[in-house]
Amino acid sequence: MKYAGQFALFLLAMPAAALAEVDVSEWLCESCPFADGYHADFEAGTTYVSDDDLRYGNATGYDSDGFYLNVDGDGVYTSDGYRQTWRVADLGLDSRVVNIDGARQGAYDYWFEYSEIPSRVFGSTETIFNDSAGVLQLPPSWVAAGTTDGFTALDESLKSRFIESDRQMAQIGGRWIASDAFEFYADYSRQTRDGIDIKSGAGYTQASLLPRRIDFATDQANIGIRYHAGSGTLTLAYYGSYFDNRNSALSWQTPFTAPAGATELSMAEEPDNNFQQISLSGAFQADFWQSVLAFSASAGRGEQNEKFLDYTTNPNLATQALPRSSLQGEVDNSSYALTITSRPTRRVRLKLSYRYDDRDNTTAVDDWSRVITDVIPSGEVQQNVPYSFTRTRLSVAADVKLLDVLRLSAGFDRNELDRNYQEVAEQTEDSDWGHLRWRPASWFELRARCGTSRRDINRYDETVAMSYGQNPLLRKYNLAYRYREFGELSASLSAQSRPVSLTATVFSADDSYTESKLGLTSSDELRYTIDLGWTVSEALSTYLMHGSESVEAEQLGSAGFSTPDWRAAHDDEFQHWGVGMRWRPSGGKIELRLDYSNGEGDTDIRVDNNGVDSPLPTLTSSLDSLRAEMAWHWSDKLDLTLDIRYEAFETDDWQIAGVAPDTLPTILTLGASPYDYDVWAVGIGFRYYLGQQSLQLVN
Amino acid sequence: MSPHSLSRRILAQLLLLVALGISPGLMAQAEDSEAEYSRKGADSCFACHDDQATLAIFRGKHAVRQDSRTPFGHGQLQCEACHGPGGEHAGRVRRGEERPPIAAFAAGSMLSVLEQNQFCTTCHQDDLGVGWHGGAHDMEEVACSDCHSSHAATDPVLVTSLQAEVCFDCHQQQRTQAMKPYAHPVRQGKMACGSCHDAHGESTGSMLTQQATNDTCFECHAEQRGPYLWEHAPVSENCGDCHDPHGSNHPGMLSLRAPMLCQSCHSQSGHPSIAQDASGLPSGTPSALLLGQSCMNCHSQVHGSNHPSGSKLMR
Repeated sequence: MKYAGQFALFLLAMPAAALAEVDVSEWLCESCPFADGYHADFEAGTTYVSDDDLRYGNATGYDSDGFYLNVDGDGVYTSDGYRQTWRVADLGLDSRVVNIDGARQGAYDYWFEYSEIPSRVFGSTETIFNDSAGVLQLPPSWVAAGTTDGFTALDESLKSRFIESDRQMAQIGGRWIASDAFEFYADYSRQTRDGIDIKSGAGYTQASLLPRRIDFATDQANIGIRYHAGSGTLTLAYYGSYFDNRNSALSWQTPFTAPAGATELSMAEEPDNNFQQISLSGAFQADFWQSVLAFSASAGRGEQNEKFLDYTTNPNLATQALPRSSLQGEVDNSSYALTITSRPTRRVRLKLSYRYDDRDNTTAVDDWSRVITDVIPSGEVQQNVPYSFTRTRLSVAADVKLLDVLRLSAGFDRNELDRNYQEVAEQTEDSDWGHLRWRPASWFELRARCGTSRRDINRYDETVAMSYGQNPLLRKYNLAYRYREFGELSASLSAQSRPVSLTATVFSADDSYTESKLGLTSSDELRYTIDLGWTVSEALSTYLMHGSESVEAEQLGSAGFSTPDWRAAHDDEFQHWGVGMRWRPSGGKIELRLDYSNGEGDTDIRVDNNGVDSPLPTLTSSLDSLRAEMAWHWSDKLDLTLDIRYEAFETDDWQIAGVAPDTLPTILTLGASPYDYDVWAVGIGFRYYLGQQSLQLVN
Repeated sequence: MSPHSLSRRILAQLLLLVALGISPGLMAQAEDSEAEYSRKGADSCFACHDDQATLAIFRGKHAVRQDSRTPFGHGQLQCEACHGPGGEHAGRVRRGEERPPIAAFAAGSMLSVLEQNQFCTTCHQDDLGVGWHGGAHDMEEVACSDCHSSHAATDPVLVTSLQAEVCFDCHQQQRTQAMKPYAHPVRQGKMACGSCHDAHGESTGSMLTQQATNDTCFECHAEQRGPYLWEHAPVSENCGDCHDPHGSNHPGMLSLRAPMLCQSCHSQSGHPSIAQDASGLPSGTPSALLLGQSCMNCHSQVHGSNHPSGSKLMR
C-alpha cells in the first residue's frame, strides 16, 4: 500500500500545466499493432441431435432430432477511423442472431440487429380442433356431450398440436454526434410473435383448452437529442410503442352440448394499443460538496380503441345495445424524479431522492349488461373499473468511510401509494436499512446488510371488499399490512496475486402479515451462494458454484365464507450446482472448456382442510446440463472444433401428470405431459480466421 | 476536440478532488512527488506488457489513431491516458527493490473506485446517463472495470449472450434463479440482464430500463398493456405481484402455484374459496379447480378482458 497514497496524491496534485505540457513528440507508438484492415473468424459445422423433444428446442432451436447445419462468426473492419463490426450466431437455427455495428468514431454510429427466440412449450399436446377460417372447428364426426366422458369420438379426433411460437426482433438505430454539445439518436424496432399458445375457452359450466393461433407485432421507436455543456447534460426523448394483434377475436365450436345459438363461442383477444411518451432528463455537477443533481420528467399516454365484439354470438338472446362500440380507453402516465448526491468530504457521501409516478386511467365508466357465456343474460349491470394510482418514493441515504477499511451506510425509504376502487386507498411503507463494509486487506471483504420495512394502510375497506363478494376477513397480500425483516452477509476473498477466489453470501427475509386473518399470512425466504474460483496455472482455471433458495409461505382460507377453515403451507426449494474448467495453454494446440450445471427444484404444498392433512405430491424439476468444447489449432488460420452438449430435464407436476384430454369431466384439456427428456447434441466444425489471429508488436 | 483535451478533462476532474478532499498535510506530501511520464509512451509499456490480452486493445474502440478522443488518438497519452504517469513504473529498479506500481483497474487496485472511475467518466460521462447518480451501482461504488473490459476487442458485457455471466459475478442469487425450470431465456444466452435492467440507471428502485415495472415488461409483452375494458387490479399496478421474472418453480414464472396464488386474493363464496387438496388429483375426484390450468381453465383472461361480457375475465 505504500505507493497507493503517493500515487493518488501524485495524480491529484498534478498542476494543469504539467499534463498539458507532456511532450509526446517522442511517443511514436512504433510498436503498436494498429489493426486497420479486416479481421474475422467464421465457424461452420454440423450438429447431430440425438432425440426428438420439442422442449429442448426452447430458446436453443434444437427442437427435433437429426442434423443441423450452423454458422457462427464475428468480424471487424477498421480503416481511417471508420469501424464496422458484425456478429452472427446460430444462423442455421431458430435462435439466430445477426448484429452489425458501425461507426466513424466521434462522428456517428449505427447498428442493426435481427434475432429470433423460439418458445417451445409442449410437444405432447393433442387437440380435436381444426383451425379453419378463423374458427377452431370440431371434426365432422364429433359427438357432443355434457361431460368429457360422453365424447365418444374423442380418441379418433385427437391429433398432435405443438404449443410453440417464435419471436422475431429487428432493430435499427443510429446516433449522430453533431458537435461537442449536441448529439441525436433514433432507433426503431419491430417485434413479431407468431405460433400457437394455450387459451381456455369457457362455455356455461364447461371449458376447452384451445390451441390459439397468435400473431402479434409491436413497433417501438426512440428518438432523442442530448445536449452536453460543461458540467451538465440534458436529454429530450420520445418513446412510442404500437401493438398490433392480427386477430381481434378467438372463436371456437364448443364440443359440449349447448343450447341452440350457443354452439359457436368467442372471446376477445388482446386489443391493439399504443403508448407514447415524452421525457426530459438531465444531470448537473456542482462544485459545492461535489454534488450532482439529476432529474427526469416524463409524460405518456396509452390508448386502446379496439372495436368491441357483441355481448354474445347467440342470436337467440336479446341484449342491450353496447354503451359504445369501442373502449376509447386512455391512460395517462406521468413520472418525475429528482436525485441529489453530495460528497461533503472524501469520507462522506449523501443521497436524497424523490420520485412521483402517476397512472391515471381516464377511460369513461359505463353500464354493461353482460351475457354469461352466450347462454343466459345475467340481468345484472356492471360498470367497468378504470384503476388509477399515484406512487411516491422518498429516499435518503448516507455513506461514511469510518476508517480506511470500514464503511457504513444507512438509509430510509418511504413509499406511498394512493389508489382508487380497491380495498385500500392509501398505504405507506417505511424502510430503514444499514450496510457495513469491512475490507481489512485488499484481498478480503466482509459485507453485512440488514433492515426492516413496515407497510401501513389507512384502512382495509371491507365495504369495498364485500361489494366484490369478498370475505371481509381477507387481506390481499399486495394491499395488506406487512412487516419485513431482512439481512444479508457476504464475504469475499480475492486478489490478483493469489490463485484462489472465494465468495459466499447468505440472505434472509421474513414477511409477516399479522393483521391478515385470511389470505397470505407469512413468507420467509432464505438464500445462499458459494463461488470458488481457482486459477491452477496460466493455462488452467476451474470454478465451483452453488446456490440455494428456500421460500416458505402460509395462507389461510375459508370455504365457509367465515373464519379460517383451511390452511396451505408452501415450501419452494431450489438448488443449483455448477462446476467447470478452462484449459488454454499458451502456444498449445488444444483448448478445452467444460461446464456442468445442475438445478433441482422441489415444491411441497401441504393443505390442512378442516383439520385433515392433505398434502399435494411434491412438484419436482431436475436439470442436468453438460457442455464440452474443444478446439484444435490446426494452423494459424484454421481450428477444428468439437462441441458436445448433454441435457436432461425432468419435471413431476401433479397439475398435468395423468390429466388426459377427458380426465376432467367439464374441461377438455390438451393432455400435456410433464417434461422428460435427455438429449445429446454433438457438433463438429471448423473455425477459419481471416486476417491475423494474434496481434504482434510491430518491432 | 483538441489533442490534449482528454488529459485536460482528466485533470479538471482530478483537481476537483484535490479541492474537496485533500488535507493541507497531504498536499505538502504531494508537492514532494514528481509526476513523470514514460519516455516513449506505449513503446515503453510494450517492452514488458506484450501479451495478447493487453494488445487486444488494438482491436477495440480505445485504440483508434484517427479518433483523437481515444487514448491512442493523435497526441494522446496512450497507455498512460488511463493508467497514469508511468515514468517511475517503467524506470530502472535497483536489485531487491519493489517496482513502483501503476494504476490498475481491478480488485486490489491502489486507486479507490472513485479514482478509477474518474479516468473512465472523463470521456464516458454521457454514457452513464442521468440515472447513474445515486443509483445502487453508484452508491455501492461499483467500478467501471468491474463490468467492462476496456482492452477486449469485444466487451463481453455488451454482448447479449455473454452479459449475464458478468452480472452473475456479483448477483449470484439471480444466477441461481435463472436456472429454475421456468425462467426467461437468460441461461440459454437469448436474453441479457440488460433486456430489463439498466446497469447505469435507477428509475424505479430496481434499475429497470423503463419508468415503471410494467412499462419494462411491456417492451416485450406489449399485448398486456391495455387498457382493457375489464382490468385486473394488480395487473395494472405491478406485474411482480404475481410473477417472479428471475425464475420460478411454477409455470408462467408465478410466485406461487395456482389455485393457491389466486386464492390469496379471491375469497368469494363458492368455488374460489374452497380448499384444493389431494382429493382433487386424478387418483381421486379430478378437480377442474386444481388440475390443468386451474383457475385459468375458465378465467383465462387474467391480464384483462376487452369483451363487453368479460367482467369475470373469462372472455
